Amino acid sequence: MPGLEVALQVITDPYILGLIFVGTIGGVLVGALPGLSSSMATALLLPFSLYLEPIPAIALLASLYCAGTFGGSITAILINAPGAPPAAATAFDGYPLAQRGEAGRALGMAAVSSVAGGTFSVLVLLVAAPLLAQVAYSFGPAEYFALAVFGLSMLSSISGKGAVKNLIGGCLGLLIATIGVDLTTGVERFTFGLPQLYEGIHFIPVLIGLFAITELLSQAAKLRQHVEAIGVSALKLPSWADFRRVKYTVMRSCGIGTFIGILPAEGSTMAAMIGYNESKRWSKNPEEFGEGSIEGIAGPEAANNAATGGSLVPTLALGIPGSATAAVILGGLQVQGLRPGPYLFEQQPALLYGIFFSMLLANFLFLGFGLVGAKVFSRITQVPRALLWPTVFTLCFVGAYGLEQSMTDVYVMLAAGLVGFVLKRYGFAPAPIIMGLVLGELTENSLAQAMIIFDQQWTGFLGRPIAMTFFGLALLSVFVAPIRQLLSRRARATQA
Amino acid sequence: MIEPSGRSVRGLHHDVYVGFVMIVFCAVAFYVTTTFDSVPAMLSQNIPATFFPRLVLATITLLSVILIVSGLKRSAESLGSVPGSVFTTAAVITLAVFLVKPLGTLLTVGLLALTLTWLWGERQWSRIASLAIGLPAAIYLVFAIGLQVRFPRGVVMSLIGAGG
Repeated sequence: MPGLEVALQVITDPYILGLIFVGTIGGVLVGALPGLSSSMATALLLPFSLYLEPIPAIALLASLYCAGTFGGSITAILINAPGAPPAAATAFDGYPLAQRGEAGRALGMAAVSSVAGGTFSVLVLLVAAPLLAQVAYSFGPAEYFALAVFGLSMLSSISGKGAVKNLIGGCLGLLIATIGVDLTTGVERFTFGLPQLYEGIHFIPVLIGLFAITELLSQAAKLRQHVEAIGVSALKLPSWADFRRVKYTVMRSCGIGTFIGILPAEGSTMAAMIGYNESKRWSKNPEEFGEGSIEGIAGPEAANNAATGGSLVPTLALGIPGSATAAVILGGLQVQGLRPGPYLFEQQPALLYGIFFSMLLANFLFLGFGLVGAKVFSRITQVPRALLWPTVFTLCFVGAYGLEQSMTDVYVMLAAGLVGFVLKRYGFAPAPIIMGLVLGELTENSLAQAMIIFDQQWTGFLGRPIAMTFFGLALLSVFVAPIRQLLSRRARATQA
Repeated sequence: MIEPSGRSVRGLHHDVYVGFVMIVFCAVAFYVTTTFDSVPAMLSQNIPATFFPRLVLATITLLSVILIVSGLKRSAESLGSVPGSVFTTAAVITLAVFLVKPLGTLLTVGLLALTLTWLWGERQWSRIASLAIGLPAAIYLVFAIGLQVRFPRGVVMSLIGAGG
């Protein structure tokens, strides 16, 4: 296996091991803090990771991603406030268990299930990403454009308050990506004569603004809220009886989470929700769900962590992010000068193994942290918001400024944050905008190249079966949900 | 008074207004595309610089129309008012960003920490002071010294000859 040896050498380097350790601790901490998600943490860390070589940088981001997804379950179980959206389903049964004095058992199950999901998905990543990349060798501009359209169409089903708004968000991201000088014609677009905008809007300040500043303002709206924390008296591993009870739930959720993760744009949150629903549907004791079912923790936790590895499959193989955090990691790869896709595996085989080992290691590290340190991590929720968020803002400032050492990036970050808050208030989630922004260059360039090949005839796409398949899938992803809603409404009306 | 979010109110659903705002935004952006320089078709290979932005704007307009139509079928609901703390926080961080050039990064970070922690309800001066001193110190050590980031010194800091 080319690259495996190099990756093993790299990953056993104490420096990189240290970075993975830091990334994992940082991930569990930010995941545990309500308001701080792994997407936001990777966005904040991204500018600083640029000081590192590609493999250490991506190892750091990947370990943060894995651990952050698990970290959210700590607060979901202890204070009924998911530290991150993927842990929302964990709170349904985790908090009732904690109220019964079984917080330790709940946290233990969350940690073990998360590791199972994460490990399974990393193995799938190792096998599936190169295979998918092989398929991508046959892709031309038309196929890449269709794939980007499919990826954007999947935004209609991710979190947020509506499919249409998510799609508009994705388009806004595409529009932001057009700012600057058009590389084909040399024409300035939306620069308004400002030389600072000639190179376009940098991805990182927008990312930090939309994720972190928007959340800072959202937190400012919750200053009066008070949360009751439940202490962890003793943490214990789930019993063998618990393991026996959840083994099929975990196995099912591993598959569901990985599959959902592989779908472009879908992420851990949706994986967790489906994992929870399926656990309940297949359970012998569905009546226990919502009252403190151990399966209700294992299902979503295995699924949301399984989505982490899955989401990196299309990200690395095709350059289409599998989730919001994967979009940040994709942005990191691009800023590092790496172009995800089949050639990445050819030119940088060690990178894939580097990501694989760092995620695998992160999974086992957070198992340790989750079991041994949950008591300590639970205390992180007691950090006063008044001290935490000024620190976050300062990191935002430094992150946005440090990239090019330019105040323009800081202004962009601030503007993105303020606009992002207004958009969020009206139901627009930040993730679709980021997806659109990340996919902007690929979408525009592949469309332009395809149109040149087709001599400006849209009908040229009809002769490309792979592209037409992606367009068909895009139509399905956009229209399936409304059609299903319409049919169920009609069925209800008929019954009435 | 904070209205409960999601409460029914009179008037149109907010999605209708959002859709109209989006359409106006698209119209303005479309107008801006008409001001782009034009280049010979040979140079642009018949794909002018306006092609993709206009395609995206047309898509947003179409989606906005769908948003308006679906919004018209829904009853209006209140989003609740935005608490004053949001506006003050937004004002403080905006002010901080624009104070970086005159005051320098470290002084601004210190002042921001002082102001924001107090505004967010922290009343223990030991904590406030720790953050106001510790945060700029950490930024200076880790980023300015460690990572060699050259932060704006600011007019004030330059005048008194301090680092920043």
